[in-house]
Amino acid sequence: MRDNIYIRLGLPVLLVCIVSAAGLAMTYSVTKGPIEAQAREAEQKSLTAVMPDAKTFEKVEDAALLAKATAAAGDVTVDGLFRGLDASGATVGAGLLVGSRGYGGPIRMAVGVDRNGKVVGVTIVSMNETPGLGSKVVSDKTFLPRFTGLGSADEARKVDTITGATKSSRGVRKGVEAALAVFEAVGGVEGVSAK
Amino acid sequence: MKQFMDVLKNGLSLENPLTVLMIGLCSTLAVSAKFEGSLFMGIAVIFVLVMSNVLISAVRKFTPDEVRIPIFIVIIAAFVTIVDLVLKGYFPSVYSFLGVWIPLIVVNCIVLGRAEAFAYHNGVVLSIADGIGMGVGYTIIIAGLGAFRELFGSGSLVFLGNTLVSFGPAYRGPNILLLFPGAFLLFGFIVAGSRALNRRLTARREAM
Repeated sequence: MRDNIYIRLGLPVLLVCIVSAAGLAMTYSVTKGPIEAQAREAEQKSLTAVMPDAKTFEKVEDAALLAKATAAAGDVTVDGLFRGLDASGATVGAGLLVGSRGYGGPIRMAVGVDRNGKVVGVTIVSMNETPGLGSKVVSDKTFLPRFTGLGSADEARKVDTITGATKSSRGVRKGVEAALAVFEAVGGVEGVSAK
Repeated sequence: MKQFMDVLKNGLSLENPLTVLMIGLCSTLAVSAKFEGSLFMGIAVIFVLVMSNVLISAVRKFTPDEVRIPIFIVIIAAFVTIVDLVLKGYFPSVYSFLGVWIPLIVVNCIVLGRAEAFAYHNGVVLSIADGIGMGVGYTIIIAGLGAFRELFGSGSLVFLGNTLVSFGPAYRGPNILLLFPGAFLLFGFIVAGSRALNRRLTARREAM
């Protein structure tokens, strides 16, 4: 019989690929639930951390509003805009998930803004800053509270950065500035609570 | 059995992937800033290495020489993806620290290197020994580097949220330890040390 290299070489590769794909499909279906739960939990946890008054958070899906938010944020990405509801269902503020550029990659953070447009809290969701240097934006417990109570992007711009973590703290500051700009652009709490 | 132990020990000392073969260095230098992260990185590499070694060794008789590399890569990538998904689902804090370095195990020279140099030419049992030896050899060095850099660079050693050792808030470590050049310098000392140790081991083996 003539040696057919397409079958002789192709078949083993195809078989290995099929078996691998089946194994991966199985792993994926097992881990899919936990992965989604982790992501949701992380999101809710960071939103609750920046806005303790709210009991639940609802994602804003209005495309026109989100387009406005993205435009206001500039080169900072808006990953999610949430309205924070208290036990009675009234909107107590807005939670924003934004991503700005740090030293080692994107810094994703959650910013809570209350009815009066003041920052309630800021927390880092994920980042890839240099451990021990850029990571001071988290480990230096005096840094993130510096943003609390600020009411406009201009005020946020005046916050001092940390020595040794200049680029990282500038990234965080940029994110807060953008969050406040977005909050203003979408029309404040009234804007996000309109359904 | 003796052969099994010999192959296993080779990975730890005389053929340690990091200090002797000098492969897989990029992930070592990048990840070793923290003890916890480097330990999990090591465990991930051990898993991928052992599993891919076993599978590659098992299918080596049916693997045509011309297409062995694509087959290796598919097998390795499958196991790396499994590790990636499991870490993401069950160990989110470790996952967020290791980030892109987990998917990059696919192109880690140690894994492909052992597939090509060992598993493709040896039986399943010896390939397991080689995987464990090489993997543990990698883990010891990277976790040691991580522990030293974290302890002396940032002044404390944290594992799974618990502070194991701390020099107190007044301690100011040299920043260079936490940056890549520090890892590189420190790694140089480790290589020097293990060379001296290996020379003694070889001398002893020859004397016997």
